[in-house]
Amino acid sequence: MAGSNVRRDRPATSNRISAYLLHHLKSLLFSLDKIYQAPTTTIMTVAVIGITLSLPGGFYLFLKNIDAISGDFRSSSQISLYLGLDVSDKKARALEKQITEMADVTSTRFISRESSLEEFRQNSGFGKSIDTLSSNPLPHTIIVEPVEGDTFMVRNLLNTLEAMPEVDIAKLDTEWLERLYTIIEIAKRSVIIVTILFAFAVLLIIGNTIRLDIQNRYQEIIVTKLIGATDAFIRRPFLYGGIWYGLLGGIISWLIVEIGYLAIAGPLDRLNLLYQSDMNLITFSFHDFIILITSSTLLGLAGSWIAVARHLNQIEPT
Amino acid sequence: MIEFHNVTKRYEGGFEALSNVSLKLDDGDMAFLTGHSGAGKSTLLKIIALIEKPTRGQALLNRINLNNLARHRVPYIRRNIGIIFQDHQLLFDRPVFDNVALPLQIQGYRPQEIAKRTRAALDKVGLLNKEKSLPITLSGGEQQRVGIARAVVHKPMLLLADEPTGNLDPVLSREIMEIFVDFNQVGVTVLVASHDLGLIEELDKPRITLNNGQLILNDLADTEQEAYSGWK
Repeated sequence: MAGSNVRRDRPATSNRISAYLLHHLKSLLFSLDKIYQAPTTTIMTVAVIGITLSLPGGFYLFLKNIDAISGDFRSSSQISLYLGLDVSDKKARALEKQITEMADVTSTRFISRESSLEEFRQNSGFGKSIDTLSSNPLPHTIIVEPVEGDTFMVRNLLNTLEAMPEVDIAKLDTEWLERLYTIIEIAKRSVIIVTILFAFAVLLIIGNTIRLDIQNRYQEIIVTKLIGATDAFIRRPFLYGGIWYGLLGGIISWLIVEIGYLAIAGPLDRLNLLYQSDMNLITFSFHDFIILITSSTLLGLAGSWIAVARHLNQIEPT
Repeated sequence: MIEFHNVTKRYEGGFEALSNVSLKLDDGDMAFLTGHSGAGKSTLLKIIALIEKPTRGQALLNRINLNNLARHRVPYIRRNIGIIFQDHQLLFDRPVFDNVALPLQIQGYRPQEIAKRTRAALDKVGLLNKEKSLPITLSGGEQQRVGIARAVVHKPMLLLADEPTGNLDPVLSREIMEIFVDFNQVGVTVLVASHDLGLIEELDKPRITLNNGQLILNDLADTEQEAYSGWK
């Protein structure tokens, strides 16, 4: 026997490549079968992963909805012009016409002092007190709708309008929106932090499950090592196990969030009715779903990889 | 096939399991490794199977130095060896067929080839009708035969057996040993550790005897001396 470690009838390379792919498939099915054989453990692990991931998932959807609602506000940012009390009706209407023709303005709406007062009388509940006033304290108002554009353009427009002699106060209705955006920005960052923490938790959960799995199959690992299995061969079923945990956990978390949103949808419809608004709940898009499932699967793979790297090398036949 | 040059194995704590052991087992040889328990038989087999490394001296398998083999090469070297354990080391969660097929799967054979060779190996140990049974349902002798089938299914060049008949009655022991002799006759190098002296006597094969880690009898000594002088 001349060759140092020449095998006498080793399978041909092409066969070995297809056998390699076949082993991948086998490991995949084998690990799935292991999961199927131990349903309680699997369900518990997968449920923990699902619940853990549903939190960042839910937060994400919440923010997505807030973003959509506030986006509606942003597109309708208006400038309210309160004219001086000494500006006459005729002059005010002329001004409105002038503003309408400006390049950055889409439309304007004129609310005369009288109609403002009338509206106030009807809605405020102070009708009687208003009647005691000797003169109308409300100014003419022009609501200016700017063309859609950046904040800078709107600010410029605001400054131009404010500089007009007839205009007493020019007010951009987006100041509160900016505060809201800042709050949303803080919330977004919090969601990122929460997501990182929970992803880490999932990593630990899967790592620990795979570690237990490795311990349970200690004997099998020893035997296969003695028979000449490479580390990669031994690693494979465990990595696929992690992938399955991640994938199933991702699907569970998706279900949890979807069910949660269905539960919210009812009261939200009533809220819509009360506010005469038409807020529509946004749930996961297909794109979101794919991202959720992919990242949970990758977390599963990473978790099992860590466990396998840490524990598999320590198992050597003695 | 196997060459030991002044191999010493000292375990942590100072226990010396092998002291200055030199021997040579040629291709196609069959030998028995004997000695009382604790004499170093298992350690010697473990060094060949790359489970332990010599503390001093040199161990060669097919002229490959086993002392400082890179970790990633170990599996490929082991594929040339079939190992039979006293306690079979079968995997009880899968049927006999899957147990025996394992070495072939590891080495990347195709399913048809795996089925063919696995059945051939099972046939050789007389267990073809048990391929679907779970190992737990088999008797001790049958389990050991499954272990042998698994050790030979990939046609290794070297067969190592550590007390393969340790738990079996004399009739079964003889059957098992005769299987080894059969394999040797078709060219497989065989090294069997055993203390079943009566049976070894009957089979009339060279003996290597260890006592407290030292080689006290070596029926292969002539060839060993030859090789050793040539080596220097």
